[in-house]
Amino acid sequence: MAMDTKNVIETRGLKKTFLDFWRRPTVEAVKSLDLTVRQGEVFGLLGPNGSGKSTTIKMLLGLLHPTGGELRVLGARPDDMRAKARIGYLPEVSHLHPFLTPRETLRYYASLFGMTRVEAAKRTEELLAMVDLAQASDRAVGRFSKGMARRVGLAQALVNAPELLVLDEPTSGLDPIGCREVKDLVRILAKTGVTVLMTSHLLADVEDVCDRVAILDGGVLRAEGKIAELLRQPDAVRFLIEGLDDEAAESLRLELEARAGRRVRQDYPAMSLETFFLQVVAKEGRARDFALAPFLARPAAGQREGGTCAEA
Amino acid sequence: MCGGVTASLRRTGGVAGLAVRAALRTKTVAALLVLLAVCVAVLPGVVKGDGTPEGELQILLTYTLGFAFGILCLSTLWAACALFAAEIDNARMQLSAVKPVRAAEFWLGKWLALLCLNALVLAAVYAGVYGQMAWRMRRNGWAEADRPVSRHAAHPVLPTPKEEAREAYEVLRRQDALPKGMSKAAVLKTLEAKADEKYDVINPGEEVRWRFRLKRPVGVKKAEPVTVWIRFDTEFSTREHVTGVCSLSVAGQPERAVKVDLDDFTQNEIEFAVDTRAFTEGTTGTGGLRDFEVAFRHTGNAKRVSALMLRFRKDVELLTPGGTFGANLARAACVQWSVLALLAGFGLTLSACFSLPVAAFVATLLLALTLVGNSVVQAVSEDDEKEWGNRVGIWISRGVSAATRPAMRAEPLTALTRGERLEVDVLGRAALWNVVWLPALFAIAGCWVLRRRELADTD
Ligand SMILES: Nc1ncnc2c1ncn2[C@@H]1O[C@H](COP(=O)(O)OP(=O)(O)OP(=O)(O)O)[C@@H](O)[C@H]1O
Ligand SMILES: [Mg+2]
Repeated sequence: MAMDTKNVIETRGLKKTFLDFWRRPTVEAVKSLDLTVRQGEVFGLLGPNGSGKSTTIKMLLGLLHPTGGELRVLGARPDDMRAKARIGYLPEVSHLHPFLTPRETLRYYASLFGMTRVEAAKRTEELLAMVDLAQASDRAVGRFSKGMARRVGLAQALVNAPELLVLDEPTSGLDPIGCREVKDLVRILAKTGVTVLMTSHLLADVEDVCDRVAILDGGVLRAEGKIAELLRQPDAVRFLIEGLDDEAAESLRLELEARAGRRVRQDYPAMSLETFFLQVVAKEGRARDFALAPFLARPAAGQREGGTCAEA
Repeated sequence: MCGGVTASLRRTGGVAGLAVRAALRTKTVAALLVLLAVCVAVLPGVVKGDGTPEGELQILLTYTLGFAFGILCLSTLWAACALFAAEIDNARMQLSAVKPVRAAEFWLGKWLALLCLNALVLAAVYAGVYGQMAWRMRRNGWAEADRPVSRHAAHPVLPTPKEEAREAYEVLRRQDALPKGMSKAAVLKTLEAKADEKYDVINPGEEVRWRFRLKRPVGVKKAEPVTVWIRFDTEFSTREHVTGVCSLSVAGQPERAVKVDLDDFTQNEIEFAVDTRAFTEGTTGTGGLRDFEVAFRHTGNAKRVSALMLRFRKDVELLTPGGTFGANLARAACVQWSVLALLAGFGLTLSACFSLPVAAFVATLLLALTLVGNSVVQAVSEDDEKEWGNRVGIWISRGVSAATRPAMRAEPLTALTRGERLEVDVLGRAALWNVVWLPALFAIAGCWVLRRRELADTD
């Protein structure tokens, strides 16, 4: 089958079998995977532990060589230098050089893109401010907390202003504020046309930011599609009414039941713990005034507060 | 962003910068520097010499520099072995490998980092040794004759022992006089050893002549005469009571010979003052070399004095000024630096192929083989090769020795202690082999592996 070069990522029958020292097959990590990620999309790769998500990502980046199948990233093979210059990658574990400071780390990675000193310095300061590490920018990364290191990792993935951003569990190790910020960042980047491929175990995170998802299990693609379409219950409908007391709600439910001739369930949605946490922290005056602040006004998808929900 | 030479240089520079930072911020390197400082500052004071200036020089030039160089060799090799291997093993390579950097840029960047670090450390070690020497010279008031020197050394123009052995072999073969039961190689080896040890016997009243080809002396002013020395390396017992006349002339101009009477042959360097024009006027041979002739006439009393025996390939040298000792020290540092560059390249390529423990083991093993390989090759006899086990060992030693001979040929510390100038061709050869050809080969192999290897965390 011919591959469409307009797709940012395209794989056909992608396979990876790990071999042991004697070249005997040990694990079939990915089995014939067909995947398409389109320009400007936020694509979520989901799956239980060991389902082959990281393996797939490493093959897309040329860190592992496929056992079989074809793949194209930004229309080129993974080892293509021009394609590499347009990709940003945050691995599962940040793997930073512990003796470097965040500033040196970012300048080092900027130099690998062939940036001049001036360009690199400018980009570094922007990114340090963005991930809120300007104060810690002269301390060695090796002594950083998990979340701080993760922020440096994220910053280095953005150093070349990539067209394709590959994030392997970007929110792991981050506090709820950090998670929220990463999700907001992903949304903002997507708006500017950046294509994002991310994996996460936190399904809520994926639900919040991804346009499309694929679910891998045992190296096999089990489901793929738009989140709204995948999650939609075709024969159910839900109303949200704010400001009703219990009595009025009960009478409305009964009326609906009579009208529809079906059972109507009634519940009281709680706000998400994330929203609650963010509110508490904001009250304590600890909300970080992030470089992303101008964009934070827009509520993240799926975040509803208060009110009564009725589902039929 | 990824094309262009300047961008490529920036990437290479970035890789080099990281390696230098890594080195400067690790405790191992700090420990190494302390060890080297101790070696330069303390060792010469602790090792007891014979008290003579010569002995002190020997300690500084051979022990101190030799020991420091040994430490640097091992540390360079191991550091190079770690540079790729550790980064791949601890998965840090992943982040760099997904950036648009070519394998060659990674290799070159890391190699250049090691070269720079080695240059700095070697410069410090040599400066330390030079300082120690200057301090000792002042403190102990060394005489002019005891001070270290740098001179061109020329041996008589003769066929090499190898050529002579081959000729002698042909003669024996034609006469059907080859020894039975010996291989050709063994016969040639014996003949070569004999040619190397050949000597002239100079009976009282007799004269010998040797021809030399000399370079133009370095740092000599036109108006001043050039000092030329003849060095005779004779057995002490044969030196006694020998008297003679030594004369030095431009070949073909015996009438303008400079003559020196010798009544004390215990001094094994005989000094001549030669008109500078002898080196500059008239036609010069290829490469600006000039032919000179040295004649030695034994004037001793035949009844009382025995003959003088000189192995002309080894014992007779003509020395001309070869610049300052400091400059020669710097040249020796360059030769050692070139060897370190080679080791760095070798270690890096091993590092690209194997994990750190494997790379370090292989590197150390091969280094040890190189050190013993040459002596094994010298020492083996025909009988040693009869047994299978021995034969394998000898073959490996021969292979390693043949592969490393060009790299190891220059012996900078021997030259320094003998006061002989490290000539430009020696430096050039060291640079070409150790800094260009062999590293280029290693780089090609290393990059080939890096491009093919999976750089994700391998366990
Ligand atoms: N280098 C390797 N050598 C051998 N097997 C490997 C290697 N890397 C991964 N595997 C195996 O491949 C399978 C898929 O691993 P992978 O890391 O892709 O899973 P994942 O979906 O990312 O899991 P997680 O959610 O835990 O990160 C696992 O069974 C794992 O043990
Ligand atoms: Mg994973």
